[in-house]
Amino acid sequence: MAPRQATVFKMAWPLKTILQRSAFLALIALSIALLFLGKANVGVIETLRTRTTDILTPVLVTISEPVDAFHKAVSRVQRLTSLIEENERLREENARLLRWQAVGRTLEQENENYRQLLNALSDPLVLPITARVVGDSGGPFVRTLLVNAGRRDGVHVGQAVVAPLGLVGRIAEVGDRSARVLLLTDLNSRIPVVLEQSRHKGILVGDNSAFPRLEFLPATAAVAPGDRVVTSGDGGMLPAGRPIGIISSVTDQRVRVQTFTDWSRLEYVSVLRYDLPGMSNPQDNPGDLGESRLGGR
Amino acid sequence: MTPIIAYQFNRILRGSIPFAVTFLLALISVVPTGIGVFAVVTPSFLGISVFYWSIHRPYLMSAPLVFILGVLFDFLSGGPLGLSSLLLLLIHGIAMSQRRVFVGKAFLLTWFGYIVVAFSIAVLSWIIACLYFLSFVPLMPVIAQFLISLLIFPLFAWAFSLLQNNVLRHT
Repeated sequence: MAPRQATVFKMAWPLKTILQRSAFLALIALSIALLFLGKANVGVIETLRTRTTDILTPVLVTISEPVDAFHKAVSRVQRLTSLIEENERLREENARLLRWQAVGRTLEQENENYRQLLNALSDPLVLPITARVVGDSGGPFVRTLLVNAGRRDGVHVGQAVVAPLGLVGRIAEVGDRSARVLLLTDLNSRIPVVLEQSRHKGILVGDNSAFPRLEFLPATAAVAPGDRVVTSGDGGMLPAGRPIGIISSVTDQRVRVQTFTDWSRLEYVSVLRYDLPGMSNPQDNPGDLGESRLGGR
Repeated sequence: MTPIIAYQFNRILRGSIPFAVTFLLALISVVPTGIGVFAVVTPSFLGISVFYWSIHRPYLMSAPLVFILGVLFDFLSGGPLGLSSLLLLLIHGIAMSQRRVFVGKAFLLTWFGYIVVAFSIAVLSWIIACLYFLSFVPLMPVIAQFLISLLIFPLFAWAFSLLQNNVLRHT
């Protein structure tokens, strides 16, 4: 059929080329317009974005499942080879942790007694919503995660997201069944933190590298590599005292933090529902069991 | 189904393969792989696919399709909306206009062409990102993505050429 169509194409060729060229240029212009619209934070764009991720999240879950299964299989085989050493190490660790547990119990009781003496308000119960990481940012300019829990699971913008070892970031966008997490390494991330020992406060500023910077520390603050950094809870957005990482390097201008979280192995994260006591409606207090699925069953 | 309809259906199905493959690659590039290097940057699968198909089957990878893929990837990755579509359209445009240089020539030439295009696109994307965020965006991830992409390009080009020679020979 090619020869018969060729004559038709020959006649339509200039028109077709012109159409294609103009479509190409129009699409380029549209992309640039989208850049400006996105920068201006137009609501429609965000709705479109969350709708798209809502639709594609189940697909991503399906794709990521075999990948996860493969990793689990590999790590199982790896662990098989070091069973005895691992066992020995765990036994020692268990003994150590049991001693810590005894200390912790005593301290908790002591704390509770002091609280009652002072009639201090205690922090609300923080309920985690655990979600699967179904996407990370493939591009070089943002550090975000996509998780498969959204508005219908009780996720709201601004909530803290933690992994087993420490803070990961905060919720930036919420769809119905998916949410986007702004990692604390992202260029736009600012987290109020405090040095655990010296109680000096600062802001953890992401710059897309794996080691976020610690800024706005008081000039007199003594910082040394190895100091633990935890959330300060300033601003009332994040619960206080959540571990983030340790100071990794201190130079004249820059203090960098090594996070506890291993960014390449995030499979499940927990979204923390948290509000300051007395600042939220008790009916929809995030710590309230009634709102969560846990209480519903 | 009459043979004509069956034939047309078959043709459309085969013709949509470049788009479908690129769409799948867009999804895969945001799935967390657990591979250490990929956690920082995923190679630009989309760029490779658009470059290859724009050279070898330009009518199956038209500008509107490229635009849709770009917007979709921006939605998925959470990056600046319009950035990927703009960059992919530029890759598509360059590849289309230079396809006479590449078609039927040695693979090394295509690879070299990809390196030149990908490098200029990487630099351009970095400049746009700096303007977009109004700050100095680290250059390292961009360069890393460019290097990984150019290393895996032969693998993808080989897989695409298998597809092209077996499934898309007559389209």
